[in-house]
Amino acid sequence: MFVSRSMTRNVITVDPEAGILDAQELLAKNNIRHLPIINQDRQLIGIVTDRDIRSALPYRFYDVPQNERDKIAALKVKDIMSKEPLSISPTYTIQDALLMIQNSKVGALPVVDDNRRLKGIISVRDLLRAFINVLGIGEPGTLLCILVEEKVGQLKRIVDAVTEENISFGSVLVARYWDTNKRAVFTYLLTQNVAHVKKKLQDMGLTLLDPMEWYLDQLPKDDTPPSSSE
Amino acid sequence: MLHALCDRFKGCEWDLMNKTGFLYDERYQDHKTGRYHPEVPARLACIYQGIKDAGLLSKLIPIKASPADLKWIELVHDRPYIERFEAACRLNESVFDSPDNQMCAQTYEIALLAVGGILDVVDQVMTGKLDNAFCAVRPPGHHAETNKAMGFCYFNNVAIAARYLQNQQGIQRVGIIDFDVHHGNGTQHIFEGDSTVFYYSIHEHPSFAYPGTGREFEHGKDFGYGYTKNSPVLPGQGDEDYKRLIRSDLLPAFKDFNPEVILVSAGFDAHADDDMSDMKLSTEGFSWIMQNIVELARHSSKGRVISILEGGYCLERLPELAANHVEILLNA
Repeated sequence: MFVSRSMTRNVITVDPEAGILDAQELLAKNNIRHLPIINQDRQLIGIVTDRDIRSALPYRFYDVPQNERDKIAALKVKDIMSKEPLSISPTYTIQDALLMIQNSKVGALPVVDDNRRLKGIISVRDLLRAFINVLGIGEPGTLLCILVEEKVGQLKRIVDAVTEENISFGSVLVARYWDTNKRAVFTYLLTQNVAHVKKKLQDMGLTLLDPMEWYLDQLPKDDTPPSSSE
Repeated sequence: MLHALCDRFKGCEWDLMNKTGFLYDERYQDHKTGRYHPEVPARLACIYQGIKDAGLLSKLIPIKASPADLKWIELVHDRPYIERFEAACRLNESVFDSPDNQMCAQTYEIALLAVGGILDVVDQVMTGKLDNAFCAVRPPGHHAETNKAMGFCYFNNVAIAARYLQNQQGIQRVGIIDFDVHHGNGTQHIFEGDSTVFYYSIHEHPSFAYPGTGREFEHGKDFGYGYTKNSPVLPGQGDEDYKRLIRSDLLPAFKDFNPEVILVSAGFDAHADDDMSDMKLSTEGFSWIMQNIVELARHSSKGRVISILEGGYCLERLPELAANHVEILLNA
């Protein structure tokens, strides 16, 4: 789960002396939102986003007088970039990246080595791909929702029972449940043939939850509202 | 035409009925799946018995299986895949491609018999010997991809039938309706770039059920964009949601597409008593769906409906579900 495994390696970068209109075109052409800016030694010196560029441009470019337009067109990336942006190392974990992106409210983090040389970039899109991979939903399978007592060894019982049926796991997620003495276990099983294993789990005294009855809003309400995301 | 017949033979029950074919062959039970596997040979015996007990067998035109020519299988599947499957059976492998696909030495042969029987039915429907038909075949087909066996399926029966209709019978537009509780990933992928085959599927929501495809936003690709439609149904839902979605998604799309033949991937596993899914469709709900399909076919396809068995694992319910299914075809 290291950033180096999930980041985009072929980063599209731009020279600090490039014009902002060229940078805007580069973003649009590659359908991306972040352009790291590097020096001749490939060291990260800044980052510019599509929003930075839009903020630097008037609402309607061709409505402004020619001399103003020339001034804007002459703006360079280095004039509007965020200097010394937040970055991470390739040895950071995906969890680090998730939390950093959430806390700092940025859309992507450049990945640099100890000498600040650019190695890649990890964006919300890369994290989404990693999350799809973790959920295992790229492969065919069936989701079971199992309610277990909150005590040691419950997951083992489930894993053993499923393994005995010769079924592979796509993923296992454990979530809080409204009853604080219980946990909801979501197993994504890589099979269509779940009838027998379902019965087996029930015979073991486990409760299979109706997936429709499992809502996040059944969780105990936190008094502090969650911090709003962008 | 049928109405004219009705007028001429008022009160004469036999003539009011369609020439409905029933593809059934005891050899379809020779594909064995092993312990704890729901796709058992007894499914077919239940279907046969249900139709017989309802007094419908004598009204159907029996069709026996014959092996398909490989050239028709190759309309859908890669040759290396077909060879791998044949070799696996020859070597008596018990599993092929995925752990769900448990099989025996005869499976390849039986899969060929399923396709062959269906293609005979297609010929007879196109020559007018049959008006419509129900093909009670094993193994099922709609999960099979061009080069991968999945979800109890080996050859994609319905996809081969569609391509055969186009290649051999000169049909241009084929509509496929798949009401098996699982999404027919194979069928969708085979036709996703094709605007001449419309694939409609209604199934349990892919976040909960196998195979995890068939989301509402999957509409086909390239030239085929807009010729795939999926209606995912949330777990625990039944007749009401099925009726609402079929009215809003299937009926307008097929009236618009105007298929010349309708193929049905008939899976009975959305039934409330079937433990392969969380759906709560009733026996009457299945009849309602089929009634709407034959009505669609009457308007666009000269009544040509070829229904092909997919899933459905509740042995207690299969007899009545199959009997109702063919009765609707007979009376369409």
